[in-house]
Amino acid sequence: MPDVTLTVDGKKLTAPAGTLLIEACKSAGIEIPSFCYYPNLSLQGACRMCLVKIEKMPKLQTACTTVVTEGMIVTSDNEEVRQARKSMVELLLGNHPLDCPVCDAGGECELQDMTFSYGAAESKYMEAKNHKDEQQWSPVVFFDRPRCILCYRCVRVCGEGMDVWALGVQNRGVSSIIAPNKEDHLECEECGMCIDICPVGALTSGAYRYKTRPWEMKHVGTICTHCGDGCKTTLGVRRSDSGMEIVRGDNRDKSGINNDFLCIKGRYAFDFAHHPDRLMQPLIRKNGKLTPANWEEAFELIGKRFAEIRDHDGMIGVVGSSRITNEEAYLLSKFARVVLKTNNVDHHRTADFPALAAALSGKPDSTATMREVYDAPAILLIGNNPTDQHPLLAWQIRNNVRLHRSRLYLINSQTIKLGRQAAGFTQIPAGTEGKVAAYLAGDDAAVEAIITEKNSRETWNALREKLRGEQKLVIIFGSEIRGNDVAVLVKFGSGVHGAKFVCLADYANSRGAADMGLYPDLLPGYHRVADTGKFHDEWTSIPATTGLTLPEMVDAAKASKLKALYVVGANPIGRLGLDPFLFSKTFVVVQEMFLTETAFMADVVLPAANAYEKSGTFTNTCGDLQILKKAGEVTGTKSDFEMIVRIADAMGFDVHKLVPFGAGERTDMGQSRGAQSGEADRHAVWLEARGLEPKMSPLEPTAILDEIQRLVPGYDFSRINLLAGNDQHTTLANSGPGAIQKPELIVPANDNLFSSGTLGRYSKALHSVMESRTQQTSEVAAD
Amino acid sequence: MPVLKNIKAIAKGMSITFMEMFQPTQVENYPDGPGPLRGARFEERYRGMHVLQRDENGLEKCVACFLCAAACPSNCIYIEAAENTETNRVSGAERYAKVYNIDYNRCIFCGYCVEACPTDAITHGHGFELASFNASNLIYRKEQMLAAAPAHMGANAVFNSADVAGGAPALPVQGS
Ligand code: SF4
Ligand code: SF4
Ligand code: SF4
Ligand code: SF4
Ligand code: SF4
Ligand code: FES
Repeated sequence: MPDVTLTVDGKKLTAPAGTLLIEACKSAGIEIPSFCYYPNLSLQGACRMCLVKIEKMPKLQTACTTVVTEGMIVTSDNEEVRQARKSMVELLLGNHPLDCPVCDAGGECELQDMTFSYGAAESKYMEAKNHKDEQQWSPVVFFDRPRCILCYRCVRVCGEGMDVWALGVQNRGVSSIIAPNKEDHLECEECGMCIDICPVGALTSGAYRYKTRPWEMKHVGTICTHCGDGCKTTLGVRRSDSGMEIVRGDNRDKSGINNDFLCIKGRYAFDFAHHPDRLMQPLIRKNGKLTPANWEEAFELIGKRFAEIRDHDGMIGVVGSSRITNEEAYLLSKFARVVLKTNNVDHHRTADFPALAAALSGKPDSTATMREVYDAPAILLIGNNPTDQHPLLAWQIRNNVRLHRSRLYLINSQTIKLGRQAAGFTQIPAGTEGKVAAYLAGDDAAVEAIITEKNSRETWNALREKLRGEQKLVIIFGSEIRGNDVAVLVKFGSGVHGAKFVCLADYANSRGAADMGLYPDLLPGYHRVADTGKFHDEWTSIPATTGLTLPEMVDAAKASKLKALYVVGANPIGRLGLDPFLFSKTFVVVQEMFLTETAFMADVVLPAANAYEKSGTFTNTCGDLQILKKAGEVTGTKSDFEMIVRIADAMGFDVHKLVPFGAGERTDMGQSRGAQSGEADRHAVWLEARGLEPKMSPLEPTAILDEIQRLVPGYDFSRINLLAGNDQHTTLANSGPGAIQKPELIVPANDNLFSSGTLGRYSKALHSVMESRTQQTSEVAAD
Repeated sequence: MPVLKNIKAIAKGMSITFMEMFQPTQVENYPDGPGPLRGARFEERYRGMHVLQRDENGLEKCVACFLCAAACPSNCIYIEAAENTETNRVSGAERYAKVYNIDYNRCIFCGYCVEACPTDAITHGHGFELASFNASNLIYRKEQMLAAAPAHMGANAVFNSADVAGGAPALPVQGS
């Protein structure tokens, strides 16, 4: 669109035609106060705070609904405007309680700010204020009606943004009130978006309620540890008896890929970190019972046993996690091969990344970022239910359709909620996603399996033609497409101009775990163990034969062949429903936060820190790499990185060969990423005790980042950008050849909005929401 | 004549000394004076150890808004907030201070906290005998600073150690 020129406060501005005056002013650094206006939501014009004087217009105008025009002359601030805004504040305060000292919004309340800027704090009314008690609408949403200023932001974000439409307006005029969908309570996705967007303290969070104040917390922007989407969440932390306690999560820092969005898990499910069952001391099995022990004892025992078993050619298995950082996954992969001398490495796979890497090899620019999902002109989604499993992805798609008129093509065996945004929804028989890929790629015979009553051959033909004609199509697929089907789908994609792919995996760092080679047959970057290459040069002595997958390790344990099992942040016994006595002849070491089924039968349990308590990097399901910052801290736990290094040390391995440290010039002991106080000292003590140079600690994950950047294809990102907190895309184009994996090894986590594997089991916030659901449904059933 | 000048100066000085000798004494005989204050005297506005006030119903005035902690230049106020419930009502508003500590190692008695308090909950009392050989004794807890409860609430619960949360040693409220 052509640009128009206007004058605001004597300043000449240019803005594209169609821009709202309030936005044009904002980009020129002129602040116009507003309550009801919110970028990317529909216009309301309800609060009249944004009044400005526009020449040749008889009255003051609302900047949030006025579109800029050529030659417009605007005064954003003069006596008249200030007076008008002051009276708006006065009206808003008419029935507003004097609650600031107890109100959760105090200190970050837009109404407080406006009252400070414009005055009108003194009421001219004689009448007593109309009080109404606070209501609890759901375990996490509270509503205080008198504080509401009726800006309708909550109604719009819930409806337009979330497509939940759980909030509405009752009555008209002065007696309007915000009301939940089930009379006295809410039944919704509990995302808390309404709370976040509320400019005042009318909607408040059950998790943070009356706990503390914004200025009492340290705010740390880090990456959510739940699903694979990688939202940036800002954690508010306070000192507590056991270290640093996380008091709240929100997205006050809107620089992340998630922009305004956070789902219930990113916002409230940080509380697992302070669950009373959290392990805070190493446990060693003595006389058949897990007994608290000290760290030195534990490491000594593990080091001795691991070394013994390795030296007697006993079989050792290593199970990694999809929730450890890239650095830890890389280190674990290297530790297994170099120190334990085994290729028996696996993790819980939820998507077939090796197949995608193989299919995309040599195709640059063929993976989409999470941000691109919000901009793409067309999206094809096969399988999965993002609303439940990938809430951010669903938000991106939904708002792309709403704001950019993107065309969404859905192919799914279920009717999923995103169908409401779809330009075309095609339902297929369950399990035929692979056939869809084949048909799209040109195999006409495959159509037989996907023809249904509703979708004839012609419908499919038309759909395929439409898709082929799209440009910059983003093709998103769930774990239903795996193995060879991935290559087939990629073949279809290469026929569409500018097509890009997103492969959906379920955990926060599933992609990272795959990229870092937690596979029995693949090294980091999808290089095969058997191929000689840079890893063989750098790591030296990688066993040449393919190792065991997790099910094979279980079989080996059954045959009493598995002598040791090293589990880092996983719970195979619980997840696969295995017999706990299966590993009774195996020396099992588990690094965990809680006594899971696996930890319960282990010989040594080491209390681990979670992703909110350490630094490192995560790669989301799209391949966007982001930095984690340490927020909480629980005394008596250690990061997985540190534990792996210490075990290697206890085994008598030269730590220098595992973590290249001391030579790094780009790294430090954590100062640059805001380490917790005393951390650098702790590194220094360890180094001193071992006579090592204190330039760089091997316990600091950044130490291995240089090696990852150098050796893992696609990870040649900019360190400055990473430290600045920007997301960077890693590509699969130059990866190793990958390897065909057995499709049955991929087991989707099938978490929904309110569950999140082990973390979810220990989150009170998620439990309270689920309990409120079951209670309500049983009440209905009893009627 | 410098000698004469010196003598004159000494005579003037000594005359003041002798004049003052017959004036009533201004020196406080603390701690050997009479009365409970042992001779100490205060101006009304003296800023001594803090007192956390109660309202007319005997409920605590503090609503744990953290404004005193924000205002405090020496960062010595520590608060943990909690919510009032039907069965456990501590303050007049929705929330109250579950923990309220002032670290008298650091307090400079500036009165900013008193100034900041929106509910007039925190005030300066006249307690001043805070010296201790053990620095950790100088972290005062809410129970030690709270004004005595009125008679209808079981007078002076604060003196009765069984009523003090967490079984803290009950110290009498000083000054006030
Ligand atoms: S909403 Fe804002 S102005 Fe109203 S009581 Fe809360 S902090 Fe004060
Ligand atoms: S929590 Fe989310 S889904 Fe629920 S009412 Fe608020 S905005 Fe809507
Ligand atoms: S509850 Fe908050 S967001 Fe909703 S209308 Fe009221 S003030 Fe606005
Ligand atoms: S969408 Fe995923 S990454 Fe984002 S907040 Fe929710 S669980 Fe966390
Ligand atoms: S008197 Fe001053 S230093 Fe002491 S607690 Fe109050 S604000 Fe802090
Ligand atoms: S912001 Fe313009 S009317 Fe509310």
